[in-house]
Amino acid sequence: MSRRPPRGEYIETDTGNKVARKATLVGTQNIMLGGKTVIQPDVMIRGDLTRTVHAAAPQPASQSATGAPPNNTAVSIGRYCFLSRGCCLRPPGRLYKGVFTYMPLRMGDHVFVGPGSVVQAASIGSHVHIGAQAVVGEFAIIKDYVRILDGAVVPPNMVIPSFSIVAGQPARLIGEVPEGGLEAFELRDLYKTVGNNPQPVPP
Amino acid sequence: MAALTPYTYIRCPCSDVSAPGRPLDGSSPMAAAADDNGAGDDDDRTFDPRAPRSNYSLYPLEYLLYCEDCHQIRCPRCVAEEIVSYYCPNCLFEVPSSNLKSEGNRCTRSCFQCPVCLGPLAVTSLETKPDPSLLAAPDNAAAPHAGPYALTCSYCHWTSAEVGIQFEKPNGIHAQLAKLRNGGATRLTAKERKERRKDPAYRTQAAAAPAPATAGGEEGGPSSSAEVLDLETQFANLKAFYQGQLADPNSADSGLAALSDLGFSSPTSLSRIMSIYTGGGWQDKKAKSRVGAMREALEPDEGLQPARLDESAAIDRLRSEGHGATASAAQLRDQPPNLGEAHLHGRARFASELRPIPYLLRTKRSKRCPVCRHIISKPEAKVQTTRFRIRLVAGSYIPSIAVRPLPLSSSSSSGSGGSASGPAVVPGALLEPLRPAHYLLTFKNPIFEPVRVTLGAPARTPGRFASKVTVLCPEFEIDANTDVWDEALKESGERDRDKDRRRRRGEEGGGQSSSNNPHHSQLEVGKIWERGRNWVSIVVEVVPASLRLAPGDPPLREDEDVLEIPMFVRVEWEGEAGGDDVGAAAGRDAAKEAREKRELAYWCVLGLGRIKQT
Ligand SMILES: [Zn+2]
Ligand SMILES: [Zn+2]
Ligand SMILES: [Zn+2]
Ligand SMILES: [Zn+2]
Repeated sequence: MSRRPPRGEYIETDTGNKVARKATLVGTQNIMLGGKTVIQPDVMIRGDLTRTVHAAAPQPASQSATGAPPNNTAVSIGRYCFLSRGCCLRPPGRLYKGVFTYMPLRMGDHVFVGPGSVVQAASIGSHVHIGAQAVVGEFAIIKDYVRILDGAVVPPNMVIPSFSIVAGQPARLIGEVPEGGLEAFELRDLYKTVGNNPQPVPP
Repeated sequence: MAALTPYTYIRCPCSDVSAPGRPLDGSSPMAAAADDNGAGDDDDRTFDPRAPRSNYSLYPLEYLLYCEDCHQIRCPRCVAEEIVSYYCPNCLFEVPSSNLKSEGNRCTRSCFQCPVCLGPLAVTSLETKPDPSLLAAPDNAAAPHAGPYALTCSYCHWTSAEVGIQFEKPNGIHAQLAKLRNGGATRLTAKERKERRKDPAYRTQAAAAPAPATAGGEEGGPSSSAEVLDLETQFANLKAFYQGQLADPNSADSGLAALSDLGFSSPTSLSRIMSIYTGGGWQDKKAKSRVGAMREALEPDEGLQPARLDESAAIDRLRSEGHGATASAAQLRDQPPNLGEAHLHGRARFASELRPIPYLLRTKRSKRCPVCRHIISKPEAKVQTTRFRIRLVAGSYIPSIAVRPLPLSSSSSSGSGGSASGPAVVPGALLEPLRPAHYLLTFKNPIFEPVRVTLGAPARTPGRFASKVTVLCPEFEIDANTDVWDEALKESGERDRDKDRRRRRGEEGGGQSSSNNPHHSQLEVGKIWERGRNWVSIVVEVVPASLRLAPGDPPLREDEDVLEIPMFVRVEWEGEAGGDDVGAAAGRDAAKEAREKRELAYWCVLGLGRIKQT
């Protein structure tokens, strides 16, 4: 179908996002990428699960005036996030005043989501590392500088404060991120190692 | 066996009894021993990473701090911590330290953990059947549902209704829970207790009915003839009784005056104990002047609570409900103390006695150098910010050491070992005994001065299974770190750098650069493997020991198959002098130009991998 034969594995956008052609992004109009984010193959993002009940529409007047659709962002992702192969981002849903609705999933900068993990959090801060095969339950709130180890299951509604290391099923606090461990959350270098023109891993 | 990723742990000097800078207790036997054998110089002894003591001194670089005044590494074990702020890990509200004394160290804002799995509990209405998949957020409960409410775990679906705890309102759960006992009975208030003590009618009624707190199953025990007091009531009764005793001048009528002043029944001991347990301020001045013994409590309303040793009800219940109905030791340990409970004896530790756990508060802490008391880490007090006012981490002062297996094809190996013929090393793969393997150590310099690194490693690793170790290039220099802007500018000049790197590799260790392709470097003694802007890679060759045990040898201990190399690292550089307080006044002008030689030396341990057991 393509007339240009050398096609890279990734689509690289103007803002530096690298989205694998083999990733499944549903409802792309509702997915916001901050830039420089890597989405590996077999990642699924459910942008189609938008809010159906608008609690208090922010600007009802302007919406009706312009006829523009309400802000329907289902998944918003910051800069330098890294979504590993086979992970899934899915907005959380619940009953609100008797009606079922999805709520947006928000993710800060420098968030690593390990392979095969499922994330249904309400919010994930910046500098968060989610290991492989982990589950982050619905409406969980994860603050900045949090490490979720491989295979952890974060229960729905759990709040994980900054500098926590959690593991287990259900996830519980097993340690604190040390002062010298903050730089390790940076994903700039990792970003460069992926894409159509990957750079070698710096020493 | 789990695969092992290579690691580097660094030893904090605090564990070294002979290290200078650690306040030593001269009388301590360890210190004396260290002096006796003249082993004061750290360099002379090989550090044994397997010694039991080493468990407490080895840390990954991230865990270490650095004192700029002592020029020394500091670890979590030796720093002095000070609490900056307390907060609840669930609602993230800061708790003023004044509240801690009155409210304790748990959140009082309706934040609870599941007593079964420690997951968070949410308030749910019992009217609409809680659908576990929709369990939820607070406003869900606040919506049109009506009470009663319960705390429900969204992970294991435990609900407080299971243990008979329900709430009338969805808010103020902490206060409501404090008044409730398991099974739904309310806890006695101080006023009620007083009334009951006065009312003789209540006592007969209480004797007939089982204690509310144990409604779970101990009906009909013979002990019910005596009133069952919960902890709080018993304490209140005892306190009232002893206060009465102390106030009563007639109680001082014992004959054993001199001796009894030391016993529990003497007025002075009693008033001292009372002031401990009732929070001070309760001093009986008269007691000091009196001697004599007082009688002990004789009745329940004086605080006497005979132990109820009949456990047949608990045994019956265990028979009918099985082991599954009991709480695990961990679950019981996580339970907060509950003063509304019945006495410990007679309680059967069933899961029905578990209560929701209010979240323990967490803290933000600053850290001080143990020697000079300077603050070396201080977070902002506000809970929601992650910034630090001071953060002196060892990673910004000492080189990081990354370890990775070096796959060598047999054709490319030559030089030093000569025997470098092992197969390509797969990360996490087991090391073949007696077959040489190579590891690449990459040292990265964080400081803005070039540093000179000298390495020392024993030729044979300590322990039962001695592997051979050769550091091919134990002395080298690493270029200075540059800041982020320089780095960005240099990014374009990547190719130049590559050329530069190759050239420099050739220069070091006396020419003889037979290869100019970095991917097929040769192993040569005294030569670095590769060099970059602020990093250097060198090669370590190991010949893993055989783990074969002679008959009669004790079996392998845990992790004894891990090949660990102790390595002494000495880092030297020239820093700007005058940073020290010492002699600052005298030599300030001189110091401005003078460059000061600095040195830091420490042991570290490199974990390379597990040796295959044959
Ligand atoms: Zn220490
Ligand atoms: Zn709280
Ligand atoms: Zn639970
Ligand atoms: Zn110091």
